[in-house]
Amino acid sequence: MDTPETFLDFVRQQSGKLLEQTLTHTGLTFISVLIAVCIGVPAGILISRRQKLAGPVLGITGILQTIPSIALLGFMIPLLGIGPKPAIVALFLYALLPVVRNTYTGIQGVDPNVMEAATGMGLSPRQLLLKVQLPLAMPVILAGIRTATVINVGVATLAAYIAAGGLGEFIFGGIALNNTHMMLAGAIPAALLAILFDWGLSRLQRLNMRKARKTTLVLPAILLLLSSFYLLPETYNSRLKAGFTPEFMGRKDGAIGLGTVYGLHLRTLVISDMIMYKAAYEKKLDVISGSSTDGRVKAFDLVVLEDDKHIFPPYYAAPVVRQAVLDKYPELAPALDQLSGTINDSIMTELNYRVDYLKQNPQQVAKDFLVSAGLWKPARNGTKGVIRIGAKIFGDGYILANMYKMLIEGYTDLTATTKTGLGGTKIVFDALVNDQIDMYPEYTGTGLLVILQAPQQTVDSIIGDSQKVYDYVKEGFARQYQVQWLKPIGFNNTYALMMRREQASRLHISSISDLATYVHH
Amino acid sequence: MIKVSHVSKSFRHGKNAVNDLSFEVQPGETLVLLGTSGCGKTTTLRMINRLLIPDQGDIFIGTKNIRTESPENLRRNIGYVLQNTGLFPHYTVLENISIVPQLLQWDKSRIRNRALTLMEKLRLPPATYAHVYPQQLSGGQQQRVGLARALAADPPILLMDEPFGALDPLTRISVRNEFKLLDELNSKTIILVTHDVEEAFELGSRICIMNEGRIQQMGAATELLFNPANDFVRHFLDKQRLELELKSLRLRDIWPYLDGSNSGNGTLLSADTNCWDTLEYLIQDKAGSTFRNEEKQLDGNILMNAINAYKKTVSQHGHT
Ligand SMILES: Nc1ncnc2c1ncn2[C@@H]1O[C@H](COP(=O)(O)OP(=O)(O)O)[C@@H](O)[C@H]1O
Ligand SMILES: [Mg+2]
Repeated sequence: MDTPETFLDFVRQQSGKLLEQTLTHTGLTFISVLIAVCIGVPAGILISRRQKLAGPVLGITGILQTIPSIALLGFMIPLLGIGPKPAIVALFLYALLPVVRNTYTGIQGVDPNVMEAATGMGLSPRQLLLKVQLPLAMPVILAGIRTATVINVGVATLAAYIAAGGLGEFIFGGIALNNTHMMLAGAIPAALLAILFDWGLSRLQRLNMRKARKTTLVLPAILLLLSSFYLLPETYNSRLKAGFTPEFMGRKDGAIGLGTVYGLHLRTLVISDMIMYKAAYEKKLDVISGSSTDGRVKAFDLVVLEDDKHIFPPYYAAPVVRQAVLDKYPELAPALDQLSGTINDSIMTELNYRVDYLKQNPQQVAKDFLVSAGLWKPARNGTKGVIRIGAKIFGDGYILANMYKMLIEGYTDLTATTKTGLGGTKIVFDALVNDQIDMYPEYTGTGLLVILQAPQQTVDSIIGDSQKVYDYVKEGFARQYQVQWLKPIGFNNTYALMMRREQASRLHISSISDLATYVHH
Repeated sequence: MIKVSHVSKSFRHGKNAVNDLSFEVQPGETLVLLGTSGCGKTTTLRMINRLLIPDQGDIFIGTKNIRTESPENLRRNIGYVLQNTGLFPHYTVLENISIVPQLLQWDKSRIRNRALTLMEKLRLPPATYAHVYPQQLSGGQQQRVGLARALAADPPILLMDEPFGALDPLTRISVRNEFKLLDELNSKTIILVTHDVEEAFELGSRICIMNEGRIQQMGAATELLFNPANDFVRHFLDKQRLELELKSLRLRDIWPYLDGSNSGNGTLLSADTNCWDTLEYLIQDKAGSTFRNEEKQLDGNILMNAINAYKKTVSQHGHT
């Protein structure tokens, strides 16, 4: 697939998805508003009759309103998992206040003379409600529904974080990929929906008295119809359900490649990285796009499917060291290279699992591993010099930096200090070339795409071959930055498709090709 | 018959709004509750259709204690007219008038015929006004719709709370005059609340003057005027006394004191004509009257002398 040139190209290319997201978005918005009306209007009526309840009820719904939306969605996940259910509940809670409050004020605002006359003529409380209070409060109630709807169009974009779909998929995918077209393709329709619904409801509100009585009947029907949009996209289904991060969704070496290279088309939900693994474990999803050495792969007993057609770029880890340091201390490279070939994907996953999930001390985890690999030696406490080791804040780097420190101090007369927690790639690499650190562990894919920013044709021609990528970055780093790539450690921390171990073995799926075969039969 | 018996009512942190109130209204009679604002008139009225429950005392309609009946049933059989009409703003004139018959589940055509008849009687031509909303009507028209609505189910009892109070003086007089002529009202038992003395005397068969939740005096117009029970009643009526006296005395009431020769020329007035109208007539023309086969000539002096003589006698000997 070519990268679309203009915004309109993007929209044209993605029109199917855009329509689906828009319908889902509309559905999410109105299902939650409908539920809010079903519960909020009776609640408003109740508190207009039991004044004592008015304060507490309005207070509680008001507090719900002030919870930041992303936090509210977060609270929902442990209770309701992922997908539409928690999204709808969260949206419903947001819609509640305007509906309850306006029903209450609308009823309170009915002319007391009219109420007196109606009661005096012998209307029962029920007739009073249906014939007088609700019709006369209707414009105010409608204003509340209007507010709730507009709020929900906005908040519903966040539903994309918890696999409930909607225009947030494009918006957050666009942000993650720095793709403005994609971002706008989500943001513009969301804004238009808000304007459209606001306008439509304002029209309803301005109808004259006679018609206002009929809207009492028409409104639920309209809400119901719009709510049903949410169900439409669900009607087609594949045998397995996938959950991908917004970033993965838009990448050529991600979901797009799965379609073009493997011919794999899954019913896909977009979901935040933070909850994806757990959702797979809880059988809310069957296939997810993870990071192959993430500790959660082990924590949730997932298996990585083999990328047998090599669409994911290689991210092999290896230490990068300034040439000057290697020249000064020739014993350094052999010490570091001892780690090469000892850590494969599953070992790295295990180590990450112990640190991230079991919360064990990274130093201890590093030492335990070296001991079990027969590499650990007590520190010599030499005084020949100091090597400064850097690491990025997240992931494998932390553990690896500790291992390198132990290797250096055990096998040479050098000592080592670790400077972990150096932001992202850019920060740690700048520290290296500016002589603030001497080495750090890096990935070949990152070196290729982020640091060297290799031209597209080059990337395309070598990306399928991990050795070629390694050779390319080794040569480029040495020439441009006088930085040396030592031997790869062995594991490949790249994108990966993963499934629950139990399901994968039951369905005899071990590679992405197996998966494609299974899904399309 | 409506019977109010030793009824008291107080609101939160207040003295009694209504204090040990007792009166009876006979069928077909119009009782006017008259008093300054805040004296408990509305409170009294609202207790009769159970919009308020008395703290003490009982209210009977016929022989039935109203506590024993469901409030909805009770109210559907009592017409209720409010100062600010309380018309449903989302109902047309026709729909507003049809409310109570609908509650009583009359059949559709009967409701419609009844509503149209009432509109005709109250000078609201249906062709123009049936499908109009209350906001589009003048104050006087709205008040007539309010009256039609109260009369729609032909209830035997009508409660009216300052029904003309919100109208400008000219409209008030014309709506009041129509009201007096309305045949629908002939057989109704009416309790009408007002703070307007003139209105009370014009419309009431009997008048009940209230102050601070208590009845000061209840009786026919002449009793209140010529035999006031206390200073409050006397002072209350003082401002319009002359006009009220002239209007409430008929020629037959002062007949014995009319000192006119019987040389009848000019128009013969009925003995039921009140003194006010007689005086107005005399300004333009000569007039006489006959009563019990006796004919007397009238002029201003004769009339005023007779009235003074009547008052003197009545205040000395009580009402006859
Ligand atoms: N719902 C109420 N709550 C509290 N006080 C009331 C209420 N209704 C009337 N009152 C008080 O009772 C007294 C009598 O009021 P009301 O019967 O309305 O007087 P009127 O109709 O003669 O002007 C007034 O002092 C008024 O303030
Ligand atoms: Mg009043």
